[in-house]
Amino acid sequence: MTPGSTILTGVNTIVVERTEPGVEVVVVTGEHDLSTAPELERQLKGALESGAAVCVDLMETTFIDSSVLRVLISAREQADERGIGFRVALGDTTGHGVRRLLELTDTERRLATAPTRAAAIAGATNGPRG
Amino acid sequence: MAPNSHGFELELAAEADNVPLVRHALRGLLEASGISDERTADIALAVTEACANAVLHAYHDDTGTFEVAAELAPGGRLFVIVRDYGSGMAPRVDSPGLGVGLPVIAAIAEALEIDSPDGSGTLVRMIFDLRADAS
Repeated sequence: MTPGSTILTGVNTIVVERTEPGVEVVVVTGEHDLSTAPELERQLKGALESGAAVCVDLMETTFIDSSVLRVLISAREQADERGIGFRVALGDTTGHGVRRLLELTDTERRLATAPTRAAAIAGATNGPRG
Repeated sequence: MAPNSHGFELELAAEADNVPLVRHALRGLLEASGISDERTADIALAVTEACANAVLHAYHDDTGTFEVAAELAPGGRLFVIVRDYGSGMAPRVDSPGLGVGLPVIAAIAEALEIDSPDGSGTLVRMIFDLRADAS
């Protein structure tokens, strides 16, 4: 297993961690918008094609725009279509800017969220509807 | 009396990588005004969506520029204009966004106006109430 790949844009990173068996954890740190949405889309596509469950960790994400939100919703929909477990970790440490966008667009339920990274990993590895 | 109003003006290539620069300038301006981090994040979101419209929709496959002007006005208001010289607000079936940009801006801004001056490009004018500390 590779330890993961990192895309650096200052403190804003997208890292795929493969430290737990059966799940790819896509850790999104800092600010992300249309400038990094294509990279996130690529990383999520790779994770969805790996055969493992997918967890997107937004615990240290400070900002996303609707381009990033579209990528996340699309990934969740693809996971459902293919019967892949998918969860988004969205908790107390997630930035206000992220929560605000989800609230204004009423899209949190479309992302299959869990309040901690551990809960998101457990939910994702439990199956698509687990 | 409020201190003198101040702000910034940017002219940037209509490229995605330039949108974070706009947020950086905006935060620099708002930091000095003492408004909450939450309200700053809201305004950064609205302005990002306006810039994203210019970058993603204005020029299709062509290159172009967009301008951002922000002014902190006495009385606790922030005026922001995002202007491009592209094809205007034509519908686009292959839109890469969710189509939620304008509703998001409308929810955060106190006022939102969209215009196509002289039929060229799009001008989005937003007013944010900094005193409300909520929207």
